[in-house]
Amino acid sequence: MGRWLLAACACTAVLWGQEFKLGSQVGDFGVQDLHGNAVQYSALKGNVTVVVFIATQCPVSNAYNERMKALYADYTPKGVKFVFLNANRTEPAADVARHAQEHGFPFPVYKDDANLVADRFGATATPESFVMDQTGAIRYHGSIDDSQQIQRVSSQRLRNALDAVLAGRPVEQPETKAFGCSIQKVGKAS
Amino acid sequence: MTRRLVLLLGAALAAALAQPAGLIPLDEAGFRKLIASGKGRVLLVDFWATYCVPCRAEMPQLVALEGRYRSRGLKLIAISADEPEQEAGALEFLRKQRVPLPGYIKRPRDDDQFINAIDPKWSGQLPALFLYDRQGAKVKSFFGETDLAALEAALRKLL
Repeated sequence: MGRWLLAACACTAVLWGQEFKLGSQVGDFGVQDLHGNAVQYSALKGNVTVVVFIATQCPVSNAYNERMKALYADYTPKGVKFVFLNANRTEPAADVARHAQEHGFPFPVYKDDANLVADRFGATATPESFVMDQTGAIRYHGSIDDSQQIQRVSSQRLRNALDAVLAGRPVEQPETKAFGCSIQKVGKAS
Repeated sequence: MTRRLVLLLGAALAAALAQPAGLIPLDEAGFRKLIASGKGRVLLVDFWATYCVPCRAEMPQLVALEGRYRSRGLKLIAISADEPEQEAGALEFLRKQRVPLPGYIKRPRDDDQFINAIDPKWSGQLPALFLYDRQGAKVKSFFGETDLAALEAALRKLL
């Protein structure tokens, strides 16, 4: 009985704990498009892929809407794929779709229902970004830049990481703090 | 009677004047001093921001918690993570919520270093609460929406 309990606990830890770590390869995972269709990450990723956890109601995430559009415009022609994900339990797909339309997002946004993907990445905030290289290994994790106020930005963290990965160079600052709002996860107090 | 009223008003005015007009900026050194100055009391440090919906939502409960346990040595310290443009709004919110003042505002030279100095496991997400014992040692961290029952249980152990 005790052994089964231990095994169950270990299994739960694998299921719910952070699985993808900086420097290691990410496995496949499932998200939902805004019509509720299941989509696999393997179908969305490119040679270099950026996963960004975003929100509709978080002012910090919203402060980055135009910067995310610019990133998408600048790096998509270079072959980079973007997966924008909303993992907030408080923001249903209909709200996410309306928000994307209101802000003129040129990219699709996906839902991470039950924040399973956020948990596998260990993502806790919005916006929070991850860069995977050509092998699928995480080469950067953290904030998009170093200030939510665009006039105070002194380091283009995500762009620097992308430039390095695309050029085959080491990322100088592979991990930064992803300041912002907490992802409102299932099972957490309201 | 009138004299007592004047004295009371005078004391209230003096207390109001003793409070700084704005929030007190904190860097790593300032934070360390703040924690050291609170030795002898259990400190509940709340990092919050006006833009953070769960931070605003749970603030009245934190204030109530502080009120319940103040006499046993609990002190609530609210540190705003707002940008300078929102500082006035942050102070106004603290006053409306009757959060014990002075309030503080995070102003480090390097945000990542500041966050790491407080807790390397903290991503910078809000809300974030940190519980310090009477010796000034951090004993527990709470990230994201706070489980208030777990928080109360943790702080009761320290009081």
